[in-house]
Amino acid sequence: MIVSLLIVLATLPHWTSRYGVSVLILIFLYMTLASMWNLLAGYSGLISLGQQMFIGLGGYTLAVLSMYYGIPIFLGVLFGGVMSVLLAGLISLPVFRMKGVYFAIGTWVIAEALGITFSNWAYVRYGMGLFIQPAYKLSMSSTYYAALLLGVGSISLIYLLLRSNLGLALMAIRDDDMASERVGVNIFRCKLICFLISAFLTGLAAGVLYLNTIFIQPFEAFGIGWTVKLLFIVIIGGMGTVEGPIVGAVVFVLLQQFLSEYVGFNLIILGMITILVIFFAPKGIIGTFHEKFSVELFPVRRR
Amino acid sequence: MLTLLESLINGILLGGLYAVIGVGLSMIFGIMKQVNLAHGELMILSSYFGLIFGQQLGLHPLLALLFVFPSMFILGYLIQTSLFNRVLGKGMEPYLMISFGLSIILQNLLLLLFTPDARSLKTGLIIRSLDVLGLFHAPVIYLVDFAGGVLMIGLLHLFMKKTYLGRAIRASADDLSASKLMGINIRRIYALAMGIAAVTAALSGVLVGMTFTFYPHSGTQYLIIAFGVVIIGGMGSLPGTFLGGLILGVSQLVGAQFLGPGFQLLSGYLILLIVLTIRPQGLLGRR
Repeated sequence: MIVSLLIVLATLPHWTSRYGVSVLILIFLYMTLASMWNLLAGYSGLISLGQQMFIGLGGYTLAVLSMYYGIPIFLGVLFGGVMSVLLAGLISLPVFRMKGVYFAIGTWVIAEALGITFSNWAYVRYGMGLFIQPAYKLSMSSTYYAALLLGVGSISLIYLLLRSNLGLALMAIRDDDMASERVGVNIFRCKLICFLISAFLTGLAAGVLYLNTIFIQPFEAFGIGWTVKLLFIVIIGGMGTVEGPIVGAVVFVLLQQFLSEYVGFNLIILGMITILVIFFAPKGIIGTFHEKFSVELFPVRRR
Repeated sequence: MLTLLESLINGILLGGLYAVIGVGLSMIFGIMKQVNLAHGELMILSSYFGLIFGQQLGLHPLLALLFVFPSMFILGYLIQTSLFNRVLGKGMEPYLMISFGLSIILQNLLLLLFTPDARSLKTGLIIRSLDVLGLFHAPVIYLVDFAGGVLMIGLLHLFMKKTYLGRAIRASADDLSASKLMGINIRRIYALAMGIAAVTAALSGVLVGMTFTFYPHSGTQYLIIAFGVVIIGGMGSLPGTFLGGLILGVSQLVGAQFLGPGFQLLSGYLILLIVLTIRPQGLLGRR
């Protein structure tokens, strides 16, 4: 069933309108970003309010490499992911010392600090932003396939990860971290691996995102707005589930399209829906579905 | 040398304002063990309230406070009873996310109602500066901010120590179960505490409005300042918050002096990150 769905998705650009393709690009990219956030918050217990640091870095790497050095576009995207991993590795030591809410604030502050640094940096033209010229010539199909690859890839990666030993360790940590340490789980290493993986894929997705929008600016790229959207997607979809980010991304992108006519209201409504979901269905769509119907599309439980 | 002294003194004065910004956040963390991400928006909302009341009633912003204070108290009380009290005892995540959602709603409501234009609460104080011993200048508005900050924190301290409600609030912060056994209605106490926190936000909002220009999205940067203050000084400690405010104010202005005005915020962030890494409980923190 999944294979046939994939075949349908793969041939999509040929029989869907440009508008439909652009919507799907957004869905797949947000799906990637959200499932990475979910990996951190839902499975590793790291609630990060700073994922935008990788989004900004990934986007700017792409912009700088393709504009200033003429590097082929998708290579630039790849390097965006690499730079993000390097950043993650760099900050991992200080940042993992921060627990709980301090981690959340710390990651947020780092992202803000990066935003300010970039907007004061002549090399990237300060706050005026950069145009990604080479992206003009890119066909929508190529962007679509990149997004599709990332979306499917990230979900598969998470699924495989959770079924692996790392996944077992993560669930052990989630249940009782002191006990898991006693049994030999290296908490720091597990969290670090998840942090690096999420940084990489977030950086890649950011590259493709900016291929789509063609213009990057520091305050938007490193802004908290990204986390707002990811939070919405993961809460609506269901934190700590594999399918959650998929459903959440679809709901979010469609809602955005629908509300785009009511400029200004869309974020307010988003905020209100988030709060209502927390009150009445705190496990999100997928989480509540799991509870009621005991059916899982991507089972990660072990018997 | 003189410019360093000027940055230092002005940083201390500004720090008084920063301390009031942080005290609401610190209270909520100390009492309810939660982080209210909407605190910055409550503050900016107060700035806008100051604008409206000031304009409609033709009042000086400081006098408009007489109206802003009760409005914000009621708002804080209502927010606690209708939103946060519903997720009492459910841990950190729901509260965090609800407050996040609330901050988004408030920010965008302000954007809708007031447009993205820059606003400020105009008084004559901004332009005047005091000649200190003929050595350097201290803007009078900073002195007003500092005085306001010291006053508010001092009053809060007295309230917590001397009044029944203050002691009840501290009791529920120290030992929740024992407080309930003693007959304290936690939901009401939390609502009152939130109301008080909103009142501190009200003061800081109006003072900020008088000192700087503000936009609907200013809430975020002040939230980070509040975090900075609270983390450096230590969550849940009133004197710590004051100290944190001073340190943050000084680091910002001294940093701006040496690195340039664009780096003012960044200097503050750096100090914040350093403290988070080395001593996350802050200088005088209790947890």
